[in-house]
Amino acid sequence: MSGGNWLAGNGGVYVVGIGLHPYQFPSDTPYTQLGLTAVRAALADAGLAWKQVQAAYVGTTSIGMAAGRVMLRHLGSTGLAVTQVENASASGSFAFRQACMEVAHGISDVVLAMGVDKHGDGRRAANKDGLERLSDTATIPAVKFALMARSYLREHGGGMESMAKVAVKNHGNAALNPYAQFRKPRTLEQVLASPRVAGDLTVQQCCPRGEGAAAVLLVSGQALARLGLDPARCVRVHASAASSERDETRYGEGPIDLVRDSARAALEQAGIGATELDLLELHDAFSVEELLYSEAVGVCQPGEGAAYLERGDSRIGGRCAINASGGLIGMGHPLGPTGIGQVAEIVRQIRGEAEGRQHPAARWGMAHMIGLGSVAIAHVLGGTARC
Amino acid sequence: MTPDLTTLQPLRPTLYRLAADGRSLDFLFAQCPQCRQLSFPANAPGCMHCGHAIDASAQVARPGGGTLLEYVTLHVAMVPGLSAPSIAGDIRIAEQVVEEGVIGVADESLLAPGMALRAIAVPLPSGEHYGCHFVPAGAQGATA
Ligand SMILES: [Zn+2]
Repeated sequence: MSGGNWLAGNGGVYVVGIGLHPYQFPSDTPYTQLGLTAVRAALADAGLAWKQVQAAYVGTTSIGMAAGRVMLRHLGSTGLAVTQVENASASGSFAFRQACMEVAHGISDVVLAMGVDKHGDGRRAANKDGLERLSDTATIPAVKFALMARSYLREHGGGMESMAKVAVKNHGNAALNPYAQFRKPRTLEQVLASPRVAGDLTVQQCCPRGEGAAAVLLVSGQALARLGLDPARCVRVHASAASSERDETRYGEGPIDLVRDSARAALEQAGIGATELDLLELHDAFSVEELLYSEAVGVCQPGEGAAYLERGDSRIGGRCAINASGGLIGMGHPLGPTGIGQVAEIVRQIRGEAEGRQHPAARWGMAHMIGLGSVAIAHVLGGTARC
Repeated sequence: MTPDLTTLQPLRPTLYRLAADGRSLDFLFAQCPQCRQLSFPANAPGCMHCGHAIDASAQVARPGGGTLLEYVTLHVAMVPGLSAPSIAGDIRIAEQVVEEGVIGVADESLLAPGMALRAIAVPLPSGEHYGCHFVPAGAQGATA
């Protein structure tokens, strides 16, 4: 390995194929159909056959036990290893990390990482820990983030418009993304006038419920030539960092510290600075998160998140396109697929294939995800096998 | 008219009980035998500060209340049985212990960050239990 980066093992790890089933509102479509659409698209995109895939990691939260095998048998029973991964909103991201490890450590050369989900009943381990809580809403993310938003606005004095503009940008990006759940641009007036949910968060500043699927194929650098893959369409994974919550240093800082630490670890592993990122897909389940996390990741200075957005620095064509896909607010957040969908967006952008929403000269991208505000994961992708 | 709260049971008996005044709540903490800090709730299987194992012998009661850190109005019923609008807040109920609670005031204009709150028992519609609301420390009773 070079430079001590474990992702350099086996000749490096490359994303060679991407595929999605559009995110959509809950429907009667079986999850197998959602998932297989995404996997078949990823195989076709890579030019690989199912029988060449040696292992599969499936991120999902709400389908049930052994969802992967039940779905993937329809592609052929090849005997590959299938592992299901669950880590709340970050399930797909952690499936991707497992796939990276398998390739980098030379266990396999061709691995599928995918996410698929149906909208579930939201059962959470936090409700089964045998502990009572003073408030019935204590484990509901919308309440936590509304409290965080209020503190942010109190501290920064930006007014509700500052965070509503996140939703305007991301709904606008989603309108250009054929895989997005929402395909309509929204004006600031519309975002602000939509019904209030909690605190200053209106419904158009909150991610929707939904379902969908996303898949990527990972191949070792050693195998790229043998498999005859086009190096210009193979995007390298440079960093994978994961962490969980620490005791918070100051009220409300817990999730911000979590994002900062995981992003910093990933950037160090990749050997780049935050301001070198051209693309950043992050967990904007609630609008205020994008302002907070763009500061925490370091694409802008602390306290500058709203100004960064206001100046257009985070739009497609700006300094760093944040949530070019539309993010969780616009593209949607079906949980299992979300983190994989982020990776697919970054790969599409770096290849220069994001027709209609292409960020110019995109080279470096970070996919950052958190799960239930307590686990974090960051991946950095950059350049192709031709560079 | 306020019903006699002493005839009702706590909805969350592991968290609080009626204080001697028949209106306020005492919170049930665990005091860690290792680091001496308070953890909440008392039946958590480990100290939230140092991770030391704790058991029932560590339980201590303290007057329920604390410092209001932040609050918002919930405009929709987030969980079954919750009326809307209602107010949720984060309260520091002990050193390094922050819990979300229901704030029992009519509207946000009566609140400010840093305000001292006390926990009071509020009779629930079931007629059998009381729950916990936080009100400004100087207030005489609950409005909700
Ligand atoms: Zn302790």
